[in-house]
Amino acid sequence: MKSKFFLSEFFKNNGAVMGSLLIGLVGFWLIFLIILPQLSMLDYSFRFNLPPAEQGGPKDVYTLSNYEHLIYGSDITHQTYNSVDLMVFVRTIIAAMLVTIFNIFLCYPLAYFLGQSKGSGFVRLLVVLLIIPYWINEILRAFALRIIFGDSGLLNETLMFLHLTEAPIDFIRKDIALYAGLGYAYILLMLFPMYNVIESLDRNQIEAARDMGASWMRIHRRIVIPHAKPGIVSGATMVFMLSAGALAAPQILGGPSSLWFTQLVYQWFNDSLNWQQGAAYAIVLLVSTIVIVLTVMRFFKVNMGDIGK
Amino acid sequence: MSSGVAVDLEDIWIRFGDFVAVKEANVAIKGGDFFSFLGPSGCGKTTILRAVSGFLDPSQGQIRIGGKDMSGIGPNKRPTALIFQNLALFPLMKVWENISFSMEVTGASAKQRRKRADELLDMIALDGQGDKLPSELSGGQKQRVAIARALCANPDVLLLDEPLSALDLKLRQHMRTELREIQQRVGITFIYITHDQGEALTMSDNVAVMKAGVIDQIDTGHNIYDHPATPFVASFVGENNVFRGRVKEIKGNEALISTNRSGDLLSSISPSQVGKLAVGDDAMMFIRPEALQLGPAKKSSKTTISANVINEEFEGNSFSVFLEGDGGKSVKMSVPNGGQDKISDRGEVLSLHYNANNAVAMPAGELASE
Amino acid sequence: MKSDSLIRIALGAYLLIFFSYLLGPLLVMSLTAFNSASFPSVSPWACFTYEWFDVLLRDKHIRDGIYYSVIIGIGTVTLSVSMGLAASIVLTQVWPRLRSTYYTLIIAPILIPGVVLGISTLVFWDRVGAFLGVSDETALYGLFHNGLFLTILGQSTFIASYAMLVFVARLQRFDTGLTEAALDLGATHTQAFRKILLPFMRPAIASAAVLAFLASFENYNTTTFTIIDYKTLTTVLAQKVRLGINPSISSLAFIVIVLTVFAALVFEATHHNRKRKDAIAQGKVTPVKKGILPPFMHGNAAAFGLVALACVVIVMIGTAGKHDPQVCKADVREARMLETERRIKVLNETRALREQSEPAESTPNKPALAPSGAFGGVFAPTNLTEDDAEPETETPKGGSGAFDNVFAPTNLDTED
Repeated sequence: MKSKFFLSEFFKNNGAVMGSLLIGLVGFWLIFLIILPQLSMLDYSFRFNLPPAEQGGPKDVYTLSNYEHLIYGSDITHQTYNSVDLMVFVRTIIAAMLVTIFNIFLCYPLAYFLGQSKGSGFVRLLVVLLIIPYWINEILRAFALRIIFGDSGLLNETLMFLHLTEAPIDFIRKDIALYAGLGYAYILLMLFPMYNVIESLDRNQIEAARDMGASWMRIHRRIVIPHAKPGIVSGATMVFMLSAGALAAPQILGGPSSLWFTQLVYQWFNDSLNWQQGAAYAIVLLVSTIVIVLTVMRFFKVNMGDIGK
Repeated sequence: MSSGVAVDLEDIWIRFGDFVAVKEANVAIKGGDFFSFLGPSGCGKTTILRAVSGFLDPSQGQIRIGGKDMSGIGPNKRPTALIFQNLALFPLMKVWENISFSMEVTGASAKQRRKRADELLDMIALDGQGDKLPSELSGGQKQRVAIARALCANPDVLLLDEPLSALDLKLRQHMRTELREIQQRVGITFIYITHDQGEALTMSDNVAVMKAGVIDQIDTGHNIYDHPATPFVASFVGENNVFRGRVKEIKGNEALISTNRSGDLLSSISPSQVGKLAVGDDAMMFIRPEALQLGPAKKSSKTTISANVINEEFEGNSFSVFLEGDGGKSVKMSVPNGGQDKISDRGEVLSLHYNANNAVAMPAGELASE
Repeated sequence: MKSDSLIRIALGAYLLIFFSYLLGPLLVMSLTAFNSASFPSVSPWACFTYEWFDVLLRDKHIRDGIYYSVIIGIGTVTLSVSMGLAASIVLTQVWPRLRSTYYTLIIAPILIPGVVLGISTLVFWDRVGAFLGVSDETALYGLFHNGLFLTILGQSTFIASYAMLVFVARLQRFDTGLTEAALDLGATHTQAFRKILLPFMRPAIASAAVLAFLASFENYNTTTFTIIDYKTLTTVLAQKVRLGINPSISSLAFIVIVLTVFAALVFEATHHNRKRKDAIAQGKVTPVKKGILPPFMHGNAAAFGLVALACVVIVMIGTAGKHDPQVCKADVREARMLETERRIKVLNETRALREQSEPAESTPNKPALAPSGAFGGVFAPTNLTEDDAEPETETPKGGSGAFDNVFAPTNLDTED
């Protein structure tokens, strides 16, 4: 009833042609690109991987087996756990969180510095310097880190030249390159939302607090951080989701023995050609990351509307 | 130019959810009239204007323009043109493109449009400014461009939504005269929205005074000022001194009102309230500051008020004397500047006289908030 | 006073670390594009060369990748900009209680992992095909399994959200009174949109389009699933980087970086100029009448940078044809052979010594590590595997012998 009212109102405001065009475009996006694909992936994840001939046949029934595989592996008796995949999952989530926290601490001082010192040419230069790596391809950035972290990369060469190490350190196998790469890849997505909110903070507030004798710590804790909270949470959400869902950086910088969860999904799709299994893993990734993000947002009392500012 | 087209509002109600923005509005605007809706902000006058221009549909009732029912006709199909409060000049178009926009949408050639725009620019004394952008014009010039843009559509009715509110005082006064002149020249119906009584009184043939969605009085400016129908109108339009009391006696169209402080006072009854005021009713009586005159103390007179002077202000062309009045409100008297240094001393007791014809009595009611 | 300078030093150090982390890798990568060593590295520096650009330009995979990336980019820009614009307009009008749900829905694609978007697009259109019962032969089946089609849809799903954000920011400053004024003057809704709202949105549309194109161009996570049998620049790059790297990728990165810097400087310079013009128009600044510099460069550091960059690029292109690293390479090869001989000698001596002292523990491989520790980075593997005349051939030739397996493989074994 009410939505009917909205539609008639909408067409009155926009006219028949424009109204249909707008509704058509938004409807296509929402239904055919966002909602239905996710639902069909969900549906897929509950099905068996059948040859085309048997699809839609009597064997094509719903099953939990794809999800059970993540927990128990191929062991049908459910006696042992699929420790390899579960470990990859846990590691991915925890590492993504650590990368996020690392980025918060690394970016906050710079965001504050840039946000509060207005207009000078130096600041302008810094912003331009920030924007440049933003537009360099994710793969090329990972490649750059690989050059640095490689066995005979710049870092090892330097360390050996300084006699800090005798033999080259295998940064890649130890996953140091991967974590550095993930932190590197999305750092600006943390910085810019933070910078935007801090820039909108009235400088007088800080001065008033200082005037009343507040220490720097207290000014940040009571004034700047509460004001910057939407930006911090927004940036943290982006960094966490992108890190957990990263594929290029783990493929290029990850060690051979330790995988990222998205790589498992990739393998199910492209190597094993088991789309159903891959869809189930993707759903697990999607749901768990979203639950984590929503929990954090609720905890910090931040709305969805703050994301993307 | 098209001559006047009448606009009729018949039993118009406009609701937003539970909120009633306009209540039972019945207005008959004659063709070629300069008609104003006057009221404080939030009284529903802009809502009425948006209903006339077609941006919203009344919840109930009928709007007729030139006798034709307008329900279901969109704003782009109505013979009205609206001048917006912020003018809404298109910032990316040149002045002449702004003015001739209504021709552009009907597919007129650029040459025709330019010609018409130049004519209108001539009319508003902005000839040669057509190639500027609106941002390069002064406030008064923008104002005139907005008028020209609206007139270019050859509307039967021009609707103006507080178009002068953004201008400074001098320019505002100048534009009043100019608007009135334009209206008389083109001869179409103007419906003007304002919260400024000065604008309403100087320009309009007829004024409707609104309060919280209700039209209190529709009349000429003169009658509204001299014979307000309700305490709200009396206190909202112009300055007024209010005296509260009880009706003691009624004689024809005059009433004797017993007040707490000033004893019994004689007053004419507002023409629309004659017969509605009975002995014993709570009443309000209004006397304009300029209707009060200094005079000798005559204790027994029913048209004399005695009070202590609180203070006095010099206003250039007049003095304002404030005296102790009813319920914490002062009584204001206006005395023309005749070259004297001052009128009174603080604490002095003055006797103020008035003519009963200049006092208006009516049933007690809500006053306009200050 | 003292604590103040301490803060300054701390801030400076912090800025230095931050920007080294951010820009350092890009700088190093750019430098490797000019080192003749066949493995991207800066130390040891072999010879200055442009040959990797040549290799890059002759790489058919990369050229194809760029071609398809551009096609997909154009498609994605068209689709995502129109969807984002429509969504932002609807957002301003949507019934208030529906608004937050609606906003959550259209912002969600930004947060959904790209991998998931790619998979869901792939699965969904496959199902649509199955649902419609189209067989393998029909055009529709081809469409639903066409990498370009699927990639455009998959990328637009989330790029439209980015575009939407750009439009929302601009729409907040739009006076809806302007549209009403146009309607009041007799315009149809379509005319009001085309003549009033669209011109107002033009700058936002331009920036959303640029943003969308760049986002599409560099997308990997979604594309790698939806592209099927086509390839884009990013998928080609990812494959190359995973399977083994050579400096031609560095040269590509260098070109991208130069283009980005160029674009950033152009933006800054015009921005500066516009602000200056406004200031002159408002009478705050007087225009410079005479000067050695052209007026657009006055007080404009970005314009200086732009001109300097242009000069450097011109010089580089100019010398590229003439610069011949062959002599240098021959020198390097000679030096390396001498080095190798010396090393073998040292090696043999060490081995002889060790065999004398503790003959039981000697293993054939272990001695190879010892000298590289002692001599630092001098004996980088790149010098051993390099082939001067034909940089494209990647197989190491004889002569490098036993050292091969020690140095090279780690760079190739990440993804197996």
